[in-house]
Amino acid sequence: MIGGALRRLGSAVLVLWGAVTVAFLALHLTSGDPVDLLTGLRGTSDGLREEITREYGLDRPLPVQYLTFLGHVLRGDLGDSYVLHLPVRTAIGQQLGPTLQLLGATVLVTVALAVPAALLTAGRPRWVRTPVALLEGLGVAVPAFWLGTLLLALFSFRLRWFPALGAPGLDGLVLPALALAAGPAAVITRVLRRGLERTLDEPFVTTARARGVGEAAVRLRHALRHGLLPVTTLVGWLTGSLIGGAVVIESVFSRQGLGTLAVTAVRNKDLPLVIGIVLVAGLVYTVVNTAVDLSYRLVDPRLRTSES
Amino acid sequence: MRPHPDTLDPTISSRTTARPPRRRTAVHSRGFRSRLGLVAALTLLPLTAACAGSATTPGGADAASGDKPVAGGTLTLAVPYGPTCLDPHQGQADALFSRAALDSLVWQDDSGTVQPWLAKSWKISEDQKTYTFTLRTGVTFSDGTAFDAAAVKANLDHVVAPATKSAGAAQLIENYRSARVVDPQTVEVTLAAPASSFLTGLASPSLGIESPATLAGDPKALCSKIVGTGPFTSAEGFTPQQGITYQRRADYAWAPEGAANRGPAHLDRLTVRIVPDSSSRQGALTSGQADAAAAIAPVNVAKLKADPKFTVQSAVSPGVPWSLNPNTEKGPLADVRLRRALRNGIDWHLIVQKLYFGVFPAATGPLSPSTPQYAAGVADRYRYDAAAAGKLLDEAGWTARDGEGYRTRDGKRLSLDFLYIGEYFSQYTALATQIQAAAKDLGIEIRNQNLDTGSYVKRVLAGDYDLLNSSANNASPDALRLVFGSAHIPTAKIDNNAARYRDDQVDAQLAEALATTDVQRQKTLYAAVQQKVTEDAAILPVFSNAYVLGASARVRGVVFEQQSFPNFADAWLAR
Repeated sequence: MIGGALRRLGSAVLVLWGAVTVAFLALHLTSGDPVDLLTGLRGTSDGLREEITREYGLDRPLPVQYLTFLGHVLRGDLGDSYVLHLPVRTAIGQQLGPTLQLLGATVLVTVALAVPAALLTAGRPRWVRTPVALLEGLGVAVPAFWLGTLLLALFSFRLRWFPALGAPGLDGLVLPALALAAGPAAVITRVLRRGLERTLDEPFVTTARARGVGEAAVRLRHALRHGLLPVTTLVGWLTGSLIGGAVVIESVFSRQGLGTLAVTAVRNKDLPLVIGIVLVAGLVYTVVNTAVDLSYRLVDPRLRTSES
Repeated sequence: MRPHPDTLDPTISSRTTARPPRRRTAVHSRGFRSRLGLVAALTLLPLTAACAGSATTPGGADAASGDKPVAGGTLTLAVPYGPTCLDPHQGQADALFSRAALDSLVWQDDSGTVQPWLAKSWKISEDQKTYTFTLRTGVTFSDGTAFDAAAVKANLDHVVAPATKSAGAAQLIENYRSARVVDPQTVEVTLAAPASSFLTGLASPSLGIESPATLAGDPKALCSKIVGTGPFTSAEGFTPQQGITYQRRADYAWAPEGAANRGPAHLDRLTVRIVPDSSSRQGALTSGQADAAAAIAPVNVAKLKADPKFTVQSAVSPGVPWSLNPNTEKGPLADVRLRRALRNGIDWHLIVQKLYFGVFPAATGPLSPSTPQYAAGVADRYRYDAAAAGKLLDEAGWTARDGEGYRTRDGKRLSLDFLYIGEYFSQYTALATQIQAAAKDLGIEIRNQNLDTGSYVKRVLAGDYDLLNSSANNASPDALRLVFGSAHIPTAKIDNNAARYRDDQVDAQLAEALATTDVQRQKTLYAAVQQKVTEDAAILPVFSNAYVLGASARVRGVVFEQQSFPNFADAWLAR
């Protein structure tokens, strides 16, 4: 058990190290000297150029810069953003909360939509499945930003049920989470239904039914567990993809968040900030996937017995 | 707020009269926007987009007119973007965000005249290198400390200190050398060389006076919180991607003379929210979730104006219009005939009207008409005349045509590279496509090249291009020096003379205009320069940006500053 935890920790560190290294190299190797980008575009004086070069150590050889940078990261010092004049930690800290909220809400909405939809439609006649399948198709096909714009126009601008201006509270989360969750919910409904249908054909289900277990109980207690395994994996993937993928939704709903921060940071070649965001995204991704790994054990008792 | 004295009585003005928006604090923004211009005013893009035509003040209701001001209430304003740093000394000044909290030493009125504000009066020495300011007494910063000569010195020194890494403010007072505290109410400023732009620089929101106690601390802290002597304060400060909320300062009593209201602000609170998406801003305004929204898309302006529940105010940005800059140094456009052909052979007015519905006016010269000392006389040279353009091209030897209909000379196609950075240019792609199509009719191929920032900078510095795009929002005709002065050709760093224009006489005239304070002389010099660069077709001006502010009809008393951004210090909400 301890060995497993250490292995997991080791791989997490490797993932993070790899992520920051790739980010570091990518930003240094793409065309354009960061000093040019930082000072050149603003047409600043030569003195300022030297000041910035010296302050960020941009005049030293690349390997030295890399090692210095790695040392700072290890000590938890992410440095200052070139453009925002803020410590990276603060810049990210300001945006992390709203991102995590949106992430959590989106995963919740996804599960809340997908699980009942799959449970209710698995193995049912065509007239029940067709309307839901239609919605699934729409959910996959409609881009999140467009759905967001529609939801906003209808529920905020017309009906005024929800605020438009990125309100910090729960009511400000509903529409963006819905817009973001539509696509993943459609995919997960489909995967889960397929899993449920496969399970419902298994002999043990027939046995359960023969014992007189009701249809609802069969689906909830027996089939769902089996169907959930691939879904858990998908939810892990979903969380990772949402961290950076929420940019358009942040823009449409005027929300704070890491997505917009990341896009502007990359655009400005704001190296310390980009690396900070990569680290945080990597960390969230690692944590979520570790949690997913652990939850397999909860869902599937076979894993528990085999390892102990 | 602080309207021009001739509009002091708000009850008189009619709600339907179309008259130019009143301006306040004309500002010589030689800084950020203008310098940045070359790179298409990168960071400022969203607002630039917002901008529209001043000569064409919308005929809609004038938000400043109406009945007696009412105190109280919260005004929520939706804007497309925020500053990178709230402190205007450091950051790319977003005047709207910092002006509410910061007053300046002096104030520039509608006519461009510099008036007293925190400085009661000043004397300029014979050699025009020493300015002695007498300061107003009884002014306090919102942290309770007194405003005095030491504060002025601390602010000026802070702006130019290398550690501040000023992105624009320092350029506004580039001739500043030192300040000396004579007594608490008197400060003596020494310049390295005479500069007629020094006082207008001081009037800029970028030179807003901050509490010295805050300047001594960590510069990064100023990016979210600033403390000034202004009519509003913000306890929570600025949050990136969100905005800022200002509270009224009850003991404010030092607005410039001539302001409608010299006491505390009418509004209890001013909330500025960042809403990047244009349709979200519009929706927030029409659904009442915001009281005002900046950067209304031109296509939506007419509809909003037609609705009696809303008003649209706009102000054309002064300075150099959104332009294409031909490379006068090398390539086909080094030939003045080709530049003239391009200028007169494309119906720029038609293109601009088609895309911006008259909200952004077509350009009529190297300066926007709202710039002081704009020379209207050159407008005629910018008229569409395809036949004359064709003749010029023939004269230049581009007579043959290839299979695709493009002109050729010695078997080489007449083709021009237009460089831009895609992510900052996206809102202009329709415009670029229209220009490309019009040029094709003329037999000229324009190759639109979407580059990443690094390659763009490299090619610009090497002069490896035929056309670039720039604009410079700048309330002073000195913008001409930045765009046509040979010292501003981008070779070592990105700069504004994208045409790489070099003319000794123009350089001399621009330098003289900067050094003299004789307005008549300035006028002659600037007119000569506008004439000459028009003669040389050193710029292809396309349209003037404008700041378009949509507001609920309840919003009154909003005044545009000379730099074409709205000021809410005298705004109020009708019941």
